Amino acid sequence: MAPTLAEFIIDRAYSAVVSMDDRGVVTAWNPAAENVFGLKRDQAVGRPVADLIVPERLRAAHAEGLRRFLAGGEGRILDRRLELTGLRADGTEFPVELTISALHDGSHWSFHSFIRDITERTEGERERERLVEELHRALRGSERRFEAIVGSLGDAVTIRDREHRFLYANPAAVAQLGFASWEELRDTPPAAIMDEYLVTGEDGREIRMEDIPSVRILNGETAEPLLIRTVTRDSGRERWNLLKAAPLLDEAGEVEATIMIIEDVTEQKRVELQGTFLAEASALLASSLDYQQTLRNVAELAVPEVADWCAVDLMDEDGDRDSVAVAHVDPARLELARELRGYEPERLDPDQGLGLVFRTGESLLYPEIPDELLVEGAVDERHLELLRAVGFRSALVVPVRLGERILGALTLVTSDSGRVLDEFDQQLAEQVAARAAVAIENSRLYSQRSSIARTLQQSLLPEQLPEIPGYELASFYLPAMEGSLVGGDFYDVWPVGDSWLVIIGDVTGKGVDAAALTSLVRHTMRTASEFLTSPAELLARVDATLKQRPTLSVCTALCVRLSDDRATVAVGGHPLPLYLTRDRVTTLGEHGPLLGAFADVAWDDVTVEFEAGSTLLAYTDGITDAIDGSGRRFGVERLGTALEHVGDRRAASVIASLASALARFQTGAHADDTAAIALHRLSPAEALKNATDARTGANNGHGHDGRLAGARHGQTN
Amino acid sequence: MVRPTEFKITRGDTQTGVTLSISGDLDLGTVPVLAESVERHLGDGVETLTLDLGELSFMDSTGLRLLIELDQQARREGWDLTLIRPRHETASTVLKATGADSALAFKDSPER
Repeated sequence: MAPTLAEFIIDRAYSAVVSMDDRGVVTAWNPAAENVFGLKRDQAVGRPVADLIVPERLRAAHAEGLRRFLAGGEGRILDRRLELTGLRADGTEFPVELTISALHDGSHWSFHSFIRDITERTEGERERERLVEELHRALRGSERRFEAIVGSLGDAVTIRDREHRFLYANPAAVAQLGFASWEELRDTPPAAIMDEYLVTGEDGREIRMEDIPSVRILNGETAEPLLIRTVTRDSGRERWNLLKAAPLLDEAGEVEATIMIIEDVTEQKRVELQGTFLAEASALLASSLDYQQTLRNVAELAVPEVADWCAVDLMDEDGDRDSVAVAHVDPARLELARELRGYEPERLDPDQGLGLVFRTGESLLYPEIPDELLVEGAVDERHLELLRAVGFRSALVVPVRLGERILGALTLVTSDSGRVLDEFDQQLAEQVAARAAVAIENSRLYSQRSSIARTLQQSLLPEQLPEIPGYELASFYLPAMEGSLVGGDFYDVWPVGDSWLVIIGDVTGKGVDAAALTSLVRHTMRTASEFLTSPAELLARVDATLKQRPTLSVCTALCVRLSDDRATVAVGGHPLPLYLTRDRVTTLGEHGPLLGAFADVAWDDVTVEFEAGSTLLAYTDGITDAIDGSGRRFGVERLGTALEHVGDRRAASVIASLASALARFQTGAHADDTAAIALHRLSPAEALKNATDARTGANNGHGHDGRLAGARHGQTN
Repeated sequence: MVRPTEFKITRGDTQTGVTLSISGDLDLGTVPVLAESVERHLGDGVETLTLDLGELSFMDSTGLRLLIELDQQARREGWDLTLIRPRHETASTVLKATGADSALAFKDSPER
């Protein structure tokens, strides 16, 4: 007689399956139980369970529990995961994990347990066992019971055979895969189901059939849980799913089938992406000074994370379009966008689209853009042709507003990605727009600075932050606004042998003289670094050079030498750098005297281990001295608090948090220069991710200006 | 907390010279005011000058630079400069962190 499905699976299960009747006598004992307890089936069946597998000291409790249950008591230990001690035939004891279920056949109770030896289990095994246990629990008793349990699970569960055909899918899986019934799903070839979706991984790379965990297992590979993003071609709906699969083995240890759980993690993933995205957005926006660059940054930020196209339109005093920046996921398509712009009227229609947003300051969301809308909007045949070439799927227009003042709007369009924009995207776009408004207004003000100042400024800062192997750098610079041509803050990063030197400082003077002094300090440092290795000695050298000047020339400086996993810090009259580990923020180094100011002074080196995943933040007093409307200073405490709340310790995130905390605090323009540089030592996981991103081109850079923007180096393009 | 006091310079004459008592924030905006005041007193022939920073609530790097300039100027021109330490921590921290506290002619603020 052919075995029932339950027998079939129980005999091949990883877990020991032991059943007993209401007298406590073994009635079933599968091959796994033979292995686990070292006792053959015919030696076990018919004997008391307690004598075989329960350590002697626990037998009384076992007997009492059974007696109480049969007398009508509660089955407190039933149907849940227990960890107990088991007994082998050779008398040794070992930890087991088990579940016990009770079944009543109308006259008698029987008890069924799934038992695993957990002496040496790993995380991965635990996960797999959990899945298998789920199945076993579901399969015990009858198929009807199986349906009742798995069928009610919120997560989608599927079982596939070796030919990838579905043996089973619970209602959640049927619904998630977009089918009306199980039968319809069963009769559809797996490849055809895959074709219904655009499937990509977390890094944006396409996921193919052979990447799916259950298919990998069937192909004899190992399968880690896989996070995928699916966009239904038909509806444009985006979902994030976490796929976990486990094998079901036959007697010979061959994979007979796979069970896969499809967990819908869309909400968590989108919230997480939103956080990361906004942190990057803040860094990029808060730190750019150039007006046109800011507009380009805004446009490029949204692509491809939010949409396939993004346009920034600003409004002039007459309510007309002023400046424009466009970004497209495929730069080759930008020409199309430019040609389309030629068709748009000078004066916008105040009752629709951009014109309406300019007028009302309210967002507009077009989840679907039917062809009729294009026909209606087209001026002539060529225009319609261009509009159709875009392949509009969905569009969103959000205002860029500063308080009551509407500066312009962001237009986001999806096309090739096939994704439909929704309220979540609208919220995200509105948050980006709010940050963009501040950045645009700031850059508008900054662009009024004199060109002489700008030219000199360039000489104070490196053209671009270099890439330091194993580290990630980001910087931030806001020059003083009022009463000064050029500020005195500077930073620099350069290699010396196998090490890297990082300096940041403030020449505490203003104007052209300060620029000359900055230049002197930087060049003295760079030259001296060829023959001096100690940061303290470098500071002493600068101090001596400054004292030779005819007029008082003082300077604060912080010098950090990075040698693989060590950081050596010397401080001359400068705020101590902050060191951010996973759970706390501390200072590094010791205060030393201002450079160029005092006789008979010396500096000390402090060397520490730079832990992977940690970040060193060097900053100038422009940050802590920043003042708000009521005369309060930003201060060290506020800085520490801002940094404690950084989501991760990545350089760009740290700079972003700093920039946004400062922007929120400060009401007017900066009185003083403000500079900061973050050095993040990559953890192995982060380094691997960067390498993967670089290889797949998934994290396409935002065209960072390394000098002014909070650029994340080491993974650009 | 609102700025405790406006920046203010109060002149007090002693037998030996002039004391300028400074309160409030000594920063980018107020450094020129103090520099001008000191310059004026020196022009009036004051040879012993005390800057009482006891009530100073904040000092930035430009304020520190002014103190160093005055210290060097006094030695160069042969007049006496005495500095009284700020009592507020925010201002005294800057002096300690930059080494100015021990390098310049600071005295403790007399108790009032």
